[in-house]
Parts: sequence; structure tokens; C-alpha cells
Amino acid sequence: MNTGQIRNFAIVAHIDHGKSTLADRMLEQSGAVKKRDMKAQLLDDMDLERERGITIKAHAVTIPHKKDGVDFLLNMIDTPGHVDFNYEVEKSMQACEGAILLVDASQGVEAQTVANAYLAIEADLEVIPVLNKTDLAHARPDEVAEEIENSLGIDATDALRVSAKSGEGVTEVLDSIIDRIPPPTGDSNAPLQALIFDAVYNEYRGVIVYLRVMEGTLNRRDKVLMMGSGKVYEAVEIGTFRPKMTPCEALGPGEVGYFISNIKTLGDLRIGDTLTLQGKPAQGMLPGYAEPKHMVFADFYPTNPGEFEEMREALETLLLSDSSFSYEPVTSDALGFGFRCGFLGLLHMEIIQERLEREHDLDMIQTAPSVTYKIKRKSGEEEWVLSPGALPNPDQYEEILEPIVRVSMLIPAEYVGVMMTIATEHRGVYVRQDYLSTTRVQLVFDIPLAEIMYDFYDKLKSATRGYGTMNYDLQGYFADDLVKLLILVNAKEVDALSSIVHKSRADIRGRTVIKKLRKEIPRHLFEVRLQAAVGSRILARESIAPLRKDVTAKCYGGDISRKRKLLEKQKAGKRKMRQVGNVDIPQKAFLSVLGSDDK
Amino acid sequence: MTFPRTSPPAAPLPRPEPGTALYVHLPFCATKCHYCDFFSVPAEGQDLEGMVESILKEAAQRAPRAPKTLFLGGGTPSLLPANLLQRLLDGLQELTGWRESVEEASAECNPESLDSDKAKALLDLGIPRLSVGVQALDDEVLELFGRVHKGQDGLRALEAARDAGVAQLSADMIYAWPGQTLKRWEDDLGAVLELTTQHLSAYNLTYEEDTRFKRWLDQGRLSKAPEDLELALFEVARELCGAAGLAPYEVSNYSLSGHECKHNINYWQNGTYLGLGPGAVSKVGPVRAGNPRGIASYLKWIDTCGHATQWRDEPDESTRLAEGWWLGLRLAEGLDPAAVRTAAHWQGDPAQDPALPVARELVDLGLLETSGQEAHERFRLTPKGRPVADAIAVQFLRQLGGNQDPKPTPEGPLE
Repeated sequence: MNTGQIRNFAIVAHIDHGKSTLADRMLEQSGAVKKRDMKAQLLDDMDLERERGITIKAHAVTIPHKKDGVDFLLNMIDTPGHVDFNYEVEKSMQACEGAILLVDASQGVEAQTVANAYLAIEADLEVIPVLNKTDLAHARPDEVAEEIENSLGIDATDALRVSAKSGEGVTEVLDSIIDRIPPPTGDSNAPLQALIFDAVYNEYRGVIVYLRVMEGTLNRRDKVLMMGSGKVYEAVEIGTFRPKMTPCEALGPGEVGYFISNIKTLGDLRIGDTLTLQGKPAQGMLPGYAEPKHMVFADFYPTNPGEFEEMREALETLLLSDSSFSYEPVTSDALGFGFRCGFLGLLHMEIIQERLEREHDLDMIQTAPSVTYKIKRKSGEEEWVLSPGALPNPDQYEEILEPIVRVSMLIPAEYVGVMMTIATEHRGVYVRQDYLSTTRVQLVFDIPLAEIMYDFYDKLKSATRGYGTMNYDLQGYFADDLVKLLILVNAKEVDALSSIVHKSRADIRGRTVIKKLRKEIPRHLFEVRLQAAVGSRILARESIAPLRKDVTAKCYGGDISRKRKLLEKQKAGKRKMRQVGNVDIPQKAFLSVLGSDDK
Repeated sequence: MTFPRTSPPAAPLPRPEPGTALYVHLPFCATKCHYCDFFSVPAEGQDLEGMVESILKEAAQRAPRAPKTLFLGGGTPSLLPANLLQRLLDGLQELTGWRESVEEASAECNPESLDSDKAKALLDLGIPRLSVGVQALDDEVLELFGRVHKGQDGLRALEAARDAGVAQLSADMIYAWPGQTLKRWEDDLGAVLELTTQHLSAYNLTYEEDTRFKRWLDQGRLSKAPEDLELALFEVARELCGAAGLAPYEVSNYSLSGHECKHNINYWQNGTYLGLGPGAVSKVGPVRAGNPRGIASYLKWIDTCGHATQWRDEPDESTRLAEGWWLGLRLAEGLDPAAVRTAAHWQGDPAQDPALPVARELVDLGLLETSGQEAHERFRLTPKGRPVADAIAVQFLRQLGGNQDPKPTPEGPLE
């Protein structure tokens, strides 16, 4: 097809601003999907995505649209909205010439919108502002247009106004995509250069590679070369998304589609790689993307130590369909063999954990997530510390460095004071504030990542009555007065419960953690003593009194099998626990090192 | 509505050897008590005679000859009229010759169906030991329990039995009910001990699954007695019984020397027994098996096959060992590890007995103690271990039966 009849675009939006609904409506109006095939949020395949109402993986779809008697193919690349998945957004942008900036006309501009819109602007995309939900009574489209101009410097006076829910204005959006987004360029006879912007793993078909042809033509049965990895494959099947995968014979410049070969795992593939023909390779590679940045680490241990290999297999399988987390074997004195896993963020971690439990029926103990630290040795060398347990003794290093992120919060003006207090309490350092309109403020702080990892976002949400949003990016690693908080159970240090905290917070943190553990750890036949310490200094102690009365009154012949099963049920209740020494520690206790301190 | 199968789903256990303990479950009560999880149904409208005939038919196929002990349990055996009790006991005599062989024969009775005539009838039929479900002396509590008698009826029934010449009399009492005070328990226990001088069972109220009490507890309509109070009630029972000359020989059982319940001791020693009637359980060799907790399926299966085996439980070797320790430790005299191994049909090397390391750990914690020489070493609960006997049982089950997940077996009522 003539590149003049193709448009490639992404939709940039905050969660809940109606991106998936708009996508659904466009597909419906184009006739690409019959009404009876429509499921709400057609593009979100994974059960988890549909349940949580969020998009995790990027998706692509082709929408046919006729304008002024000419047939166009509009390739939409759907992008995830959560900050954890920024990296997927970046990849998608590279495959587009334009983006729709979709903003809820009552909610206004959110931090995530700003972050993603900047990604689009940096990728040199034509940005079309669209105001959604304008049919709602409390919509304030004029103000929101002003917010767009102030926060992004985009002229939004003529922003399109739609209701994705009713379909009103959707045709105009399709028309303006054709009018305003430049068609792709490229020579169909040039050597092939196609950008791999995503890939998914399908149980039956193996890896499905999402690509955008930049130059040249990809034909079915072509022998192709991945320029980055040097691997060669045969294009067994190629096709487009309409929205179901539809095979075709060739993909030309500007076209977005898929490619299936005998690629077994996502690990064999590098997102951002350039695909070319083995027989007629391109001169150079397209600009690639950065590797995913793991911001959060946590250890997973099988509850039953015998299930280590099952866990390895489950992680391997999961990596087939999500190449953005990492794992490596790790040993803990307290918990034995397990895996340290790296994630893009906390939501990503929860998703991986849930998938392991649901899809692989694994029972596991997960340590509290932590950020990665660096230590500076006396020699001046810097070293990574992937978990608090792995921190060497203080005489082994000069200082500890922690990741600092620049947090940008978009909040109603009246909550500036309270958010300043909260950010300062989280060791935040004020950077600046900008008024986007008379009522909305962008507040910027530098805050240690460890401080915002757990409940900062919840605090922001509750302090701003749900109207605040935030986004962050890494500034770098900086030294601070950090110490390792040890937790001892019956005088034995439990490495999986230790954490790295600021020295000034160690006392209160220690007391809080011990109090929580006291609630989580069940009573035993003996006293369980809990202590928090920094070095040899004990900061807090609590004890759990032993069980004093636990006896079944009656036990006669007829009861024995039944009673045994009841007792075994108690035993089974302990499955979600790990024995450390002879103390049963439930899963929840391992997470108690996180959370807010007592006031 | 489900229809009972025409034949029992499991194979019957072999008939045990002569001398085996015999239990008969008579599943009828005046009403169902709210805390009770034994199998029983209200007697009204039930064919009691038909039930007796079915039990005798089952006995013909399964009962051991010359049992050493006989126990009529339930349900409420005393609820049966004298002529049916006679039909049952004479019938069993024909099949087993129990009247010549037993060292002990007991029947459970409830105050509303025990008067001096009934006591005499039981004595005449060869049942010298009566266990009376007094439970409590407070009318309001008895109503909460769902029992049909008043507090005074319990004492009257004990008196009637004593006056009829019953020389082996036992009372069942329940403590730690909602609102009970230490004083109340002392008074009630004292009153009962005045009338029963041989044997007493004092049960801590437990909230069993699928009972009204459990449901009420979950709904917050009842609240458990605080742990400290439970402990005090437990200790006071030991003191008062001791003062009356009744020694504790099991966690919940007290008796004059020589009046311990032999039939029940056999359970705690993990011995062999055969149970007849709906819901009854038997243990022969290493296998336990049970009849359905349901009248219709029991009657139907006995009619067609002469047995009504609904389920079998064949725990593995080390689980059997754990069971032996759990049960044996309930006895004041404790247990001999070698006897536990024999009862559990444990085949391994005694030096590798996996229960011993668990037991030693508990000795270190002051929960168990040992006595006797190494070759005949016995283990028993210490005063500190006694009130946590269940948590100790879980230790054995957990560390010995570790690789076995509890699997559901066909069990429970079919109707």
C-alpha cells in the first residue's frame, strides 16, 4: 500500500481517562470489529489486565477508515498508562509519527499524561490534544485546555472534544489523524529496516514479534537477520492486526504488523533490535532503546523448600511472556534458596507475584521489596548492594548511596501545603513549583526512591482527595546517613527481615517493625523474643507469650481420623509460613518491614 | 435431595480377633445439643426397633467374639425403652457372648431418660457402668446448650442411679461456657462430686465445625472464655477431683483408682476396636473405617450388604506413629515409645523412631518429661504441657506426617 494512505499513531493518556474505550469505539466505527464481537476493552487480553482495568502490554491494531473517498489504514499502537511501564511506552512511540493526547475533561492534566506527552514530544511526534468525557456535567474543557497549554506548551484551543463512551466526535478524531499526522516515509525497494517495538509470547505459536517497517519490504518466507543479536530466522508468517492477527504476503514501508518464526522465548529477542534481510542487509541499525531499568527488587522463596526447581521453571516460563523482569538465584540464612527478582516498579512486582501464584500454583514467601543501594569501598570503588541482607559490616565501606528520584506531583493548589509536609517527612528536598492554572500546581521534589516506594502514592491520593497524581524519574545515586536495621527472632538475626533505613529513623522504624511482627507471628509452645537492632545496639524489643491452653476436650475412637484432619488443617494453615530456627513466620510478617511508622 | 447408593462405597474391615473392644452407636437423642458434633438425630418419628435390628445384623457380620469391653454410646442409649435395650443386648450376647467376657460394660445416659427403673433395667441387662450427661447445673446454660433437662434433673438422675445400685457411676460436665465464673464451676463440680464418687469427665467446651455453637461464635453471638480463665477452670477441676479422691488419668478424665474407663483407655493407647451403628468408627490393624453419618444410607447398606463401610482411612506409617503419640500423651501415665510403635504397626528400626527427636525437643521446652530406665523410658506431659496437648499433637503430626497433605476422604452425611 502507498505510504500516503497509512498513519501510525499512539494514544497518550492517564489511567481511567478513557484510552481503551476510545480505541474500542474507533474500531467499532471503522467496522473492523463487528458489534457482537466487541468486548469491553478489546485490546486488553490478559485476565489481569481486564480485572485491574489497566493495560500492561502494548498492543497494536489496524483501523481502516475512509475519508473523502480514499481508503486509509490507521495503525494504532496502544500503550500502558502506569508509571511502571514507561519503558513500554517509549518503545511504542518510536514506531509512530503522531500521538493523540487524551485528557479527561473533568480530571484535567495528570502527572502521567505530562510524562508520556513529553516522551511523544521528544520522539518528534505530532501531538493531537483530545478532550474526553465532555458530555459529563462536571466537565471543564476550557480550563483543561489551558492546563495542557501551560504544562506542555501545546496549543490546545482547538482541541477535539469527544465522548468515547457515546462515540460522539470519534469520526472527527479519525479524520484529524489523517489530516494532521504526517504519513510515514520510506522506499519499498530499499534494504529492509524494521523496528521491533514489542513481542508477546503465545503458548501455541511461540514468540510473536511486533514490528514497524521503516524502509524496504518484508515478504513471507524471507530469511531475516536481527542486526543486534546476529540471529537469523525465517518469516514463517507475517500479517497485520485487524484486530485479529491476519496473515499477509508482504509488509511495506510504514506498515505495522507481526512476524512469527521459530523463536522459542522472549529472551532470544531484543526489543529495539532492527530486522533486515539476510541476503540484502541494511547499512545500519535504527536507533534502539535502553534496557528496562529495574527500580525495585524483592526475593521470592518457595514456602516449601523442596519446590525450588518448580519455582525456577515457573520464573523461566514467565520470562517468556514478560522480558521486563529479571531473576537470579539467591541464598538467605533464614529462608534458604530462592530468587532475587528485579521489577520496573511495585505494580509490576505485584503482577509478577500474582501471575506466579495463579498461573503456576506456587506458594511462596516474598520479602519486602527494596531498592538497590551502592556502597563506596574505602578504596573508592563502588559496588551494588541488591538487598539489605547483603550489606557488609560498616567497617567494610565508606558510605551507602541510595537512588534519588525527581518526583513531579500535579495537585489542586489548596493541597500544596500538606503535600510539602508529606514530601519533607519522606526526606524530600524541594525543587520547584509551577502553577499550571489558577487551581492546579506542579510540585517537584527530589525524594529517595525507598521513601516513595511503599505508600507515598496512597498518601498523595488521600491528602488530595484523589485529585493528585505523580510521576518520577531517576536522578542518580547519592550518599546519606543510612544504617542497616537488624531484626532478631529468639536472638537469631533474620536476614530476610532486615532493612536499610536513615539513621534518624532507625529507632521509630525498629519499634514499628517489632510491633507489627508481634501481631503477625502466631503464638508458639515457647516464648518468642523479637528485637530490632543497629549493630549491637538494641532499639526495641517485644515478646510473644507462649500458648497456655490448647487442648481438645474429648477424643474418642470415632473422632480420631476426623480430629487428625482438623489438626492437619491447622498444619496446612502453616503452609504460608516459613520456619526460621523453630519459629513459624507467616508471609505477611516479611512485609512488615515496609509501611508507615507509628507517630 | 440425594438418594443413598444401593451399596456401601468402601470394603469392610475384617472381623477383629476375639477380645476386641466393642462400641455400639445409638444415634438418637431427645434433641440435638448445640455444641455437639457426634452423629445423632432427634428420636421423634424414627424407627428405633428397626435400628436395633440393623445393628444386630451388622454385628452378625462384624462383631468380635468375647469382647473385653462393651460401650453403648451415642446419641442417647438410655432413650431406648427397656424392651429394645434387652433385644439389643440379648442379641449381642447371642452373637458375641459378651456377658461372660467383658471386664467393663458402659452405657451413656441423659438425665431426661434416666430414672431408677431405667438404671435397674440396665444393671439387670449386664451394664453396671453408667455415664450420665449432666453437663451443667445452670438452667439458662442448659437451655443455651439446647438440652431438654434442667439443672436439678442432672443431680436427680445421678441420685436415682446411685440408689438403684449403680456402683460405677460417671458424670460428664462441660466448662468454659460463655459467662461461666470460677466460683460457679467450683460450686457445680462440688455438687456433682458429692453424688458421683467413682468417675468424672470434665470437658472444656469446644466449638466444633458444623455446629450451631461454631456458627454463633463466628457471628459474634458467643464469645470464647479467656485463656486465663480456661486455664484456671482446668486447674480447679484437677484440685476438686483430687480432693474427692478422683485422680486425673487423662486430660479430661478423673477417677477413683480402679475405676478408669478401660474402653476409652484402649482408644488412647491406639488399640483395636470395632464400632457398630450409624457414624460408628472401627480400627482393625493399621486401618480405620467408618459407617455413614446418616440413618437412611446406614439402614439401606446393612439391609443389602450386612455392613455399611463408607470410608477407610489408612494413614502412612509415620502419621500412625504421630497419632500414637498424640493419643498416648493424653494419658497421665504417658506412653512407652515401643508400645506406640507396636500399636502403630511401625516396621522400622527403633533407633530411627522419628517421634523421639520431636519428643526430646519438647522435653527441652519443659512440656514433656521422661521416667524410667532408657530401655523402658516413658514420656508424659508436664503440668505445663498438659493444657497445650493439642499444640503438642500438631508438632508430632507436622514433623512426622510432613509430606502428606490432608486429602479429603469420602466422609460425612450422605443425606
